[in-house]
Amino acid sequence: MDCPLQSREGAQLLLERCTGGAHAAPAGDLVRHIAECAVCRAFTEQQRSVWEAMDTWEAAPVSADFDQRLYRRIAAQTSWWERLLLPLRQASFGRSIPAAAMAGLLVMAGIVLVRPGVSPVAPPARAVEHAQGETLQPEQVEYTLDSMEVLEEFSQRVRPDAPESKL
Amino acid sequence: MDLDAELMLRVKEGDGESFALLLGKHRSPVIHFLFRMVQSQAVAEELAQEVFLRVYRSRNTYVPTAKFTTWLFRIATHLALNALRDGKSERLQERLDDDTGGVPARQVSDRSPTVEQKLVHQAKMEEVRRAIAVLPAKQRAAVLMHKYQEMEYSQIAKVLSCSESAVKSLLFRAYETLRARLAHMA
Repeated sequence: MDCPLQSREGAQLLLERCTGGAHAAPAGDLVRHIAECAVCRAFTEQQRSVWEAMDTWEAAPVSADFDQRLYRRIAAQTSWWERLLLPLRQASFGRSIPAAAMAGLLVMAGIVLVRPGVSPVAPPARAVEHAQGETLQPEQVEYTLDSMEVLEEFSQRVRPDAPESKL
Repeated sequence: MDLDAELMLRVKEGDGESFALLLGKHRSPVIHFLFRMVQSQAVAEELAQEVFLRVYRSRNTYVPTAKFTTWLFRIATHLALNALRDGKSERLQERLDDDTGGVPARQVSDRSPTVEQKLVHQAKMEEVRRAIAVLPAKQRAAVLMHKYQEMEYSQIAKVLSCSESAVKSLLFRAYETLRARLAHMA
């Protein structure tokens, strides 16, 4: 076997072997070569010591409040309507109904309930008549006053005791 | 589809518990990776918060085209490389007046090592930390994912958006530097 360190690809294969790579060169050949080749043996030992030295670098434990801080940030960035829809999404029927339909339903319900001045119940007939009576036109008023004047004149003529009676 | 991707799809449906499961599973690996990248616990946790915040924010547009961990570490690596480029790590380090240089307080094992053993271990750890700190950022990311996250070349390639042969090359050069600096520790 040629010395793997003579080519870049060979050196990479040797490195893979030292770092637990699964597809290194056939193990038997390589092991035999390492046993015979001082340069490859030195390479392997150096790489192994690097690997072991790296094991000493332990990471610190994570802060106990890490999750809390994250959830606070998530809550701060979640819009009010998302929070409103969340329980609906989690409801048993929520998964089968698209969120858009639920949102639409909520909006429709809001419009129907909040819309001012519109009553879902039909007004009574007497109220309609009363409302119509209150909207008399000026000519109607004039006609009524004329009628009253004629009526008054007529009654004066009919009553015999009246001083201005002509009967 | 991997289990994590399924959990993420449940998060998409509004299942908060699935997000908590994902967080519980990946919190430590992500923070440890970021810590080794930026070499400051405070900055690592801040970046990890951003990673999981982005995961949560992306839930509605999430499509499981790759392994969940690949996607997660792509976000983490992107943020870490940006932080290193912007010098955020150093600035925050100064602000926090952290005189330990980002070296975490080591947990003492049950076997109670002697003071001398502790000092030797501390010195070794510091040397490894410094050796990794001098690596170019992309080589550092590749080595950390290879060594500590035990990722395959193909996954590292996807995280770093490069070819597998480029990853092999990054690792070869990185370990070459580390051998030169750490080989005496045998």
